Amino acid sequence: MTSHFMMLTIFAALVSIAFALLMRQDPKEQLRFGILAFVCFLGSAFLIGWLMFPFPS
Amino acid sequence: MRVKEQTQERPQTAGVPVALSAWLVPGLGHLMLGRTRRALTFFAIVIGMFSLGLYLHGELFPLDRSEPLTFLAGIAEIGVGLPFFAVKLLGMGAGEVTALTYEYGYTFCIVSGLLNMLIMLDAYDIAVGRKS
Repeated sequence: MTSHFMMLTIFAALVSIAFALLMRQDPKEQLRFGILAFVCFLGSAFLIGWLMFPFPS
Repeated sequence: MRVKEQTQERPQTAGVPVALSAWLVPGLGHLMLGRTRRALTFFAIVIGMFSLGLYLHGELFPLDRSEPLTFLAGIAEIGVGLPFFAVKLLGMGAGEVTALTYEYGYTFCIVSGLLNMLIMLDAYDIAVGRKS
């Protein structure tokens, strides 16, 4: 349980489901919003990760 | 006039016990409002995140006012409700700073509390008629 990517994926999945249920009423809209939020979570993490790549650790 | 009548019809006080229940037990507010599926999902998400946070050696922060960030993190974690106090009473949640997953752990604990606060506000809004 020390993989950064697995932690990120679990976190993104759980929060996306909660946000989808809170912010949308229709099940189809919930699914669409949940997938979008999940992809945005992962995408932004990858983007920020690559932006930080040139900086020394 | 019509808006005023509708506002008067709404049971404003009904929101408080629902919100309080929603805070104490994640999902209970929605269960009281007859939204079983959502209630079970919220319960699973909040308790799952909180448990995972503890499993990853996350810390339940004290309400130390001399450390503003620690204080805010503690407030956020209290948002989980009864499970937070139960874990505290059992002497768990001390956190292990040297553990590799310490930061992950407390992040999961904090976010589970914040999510439960949002869920509580959602239940309140439904109870007072602001949301369908």
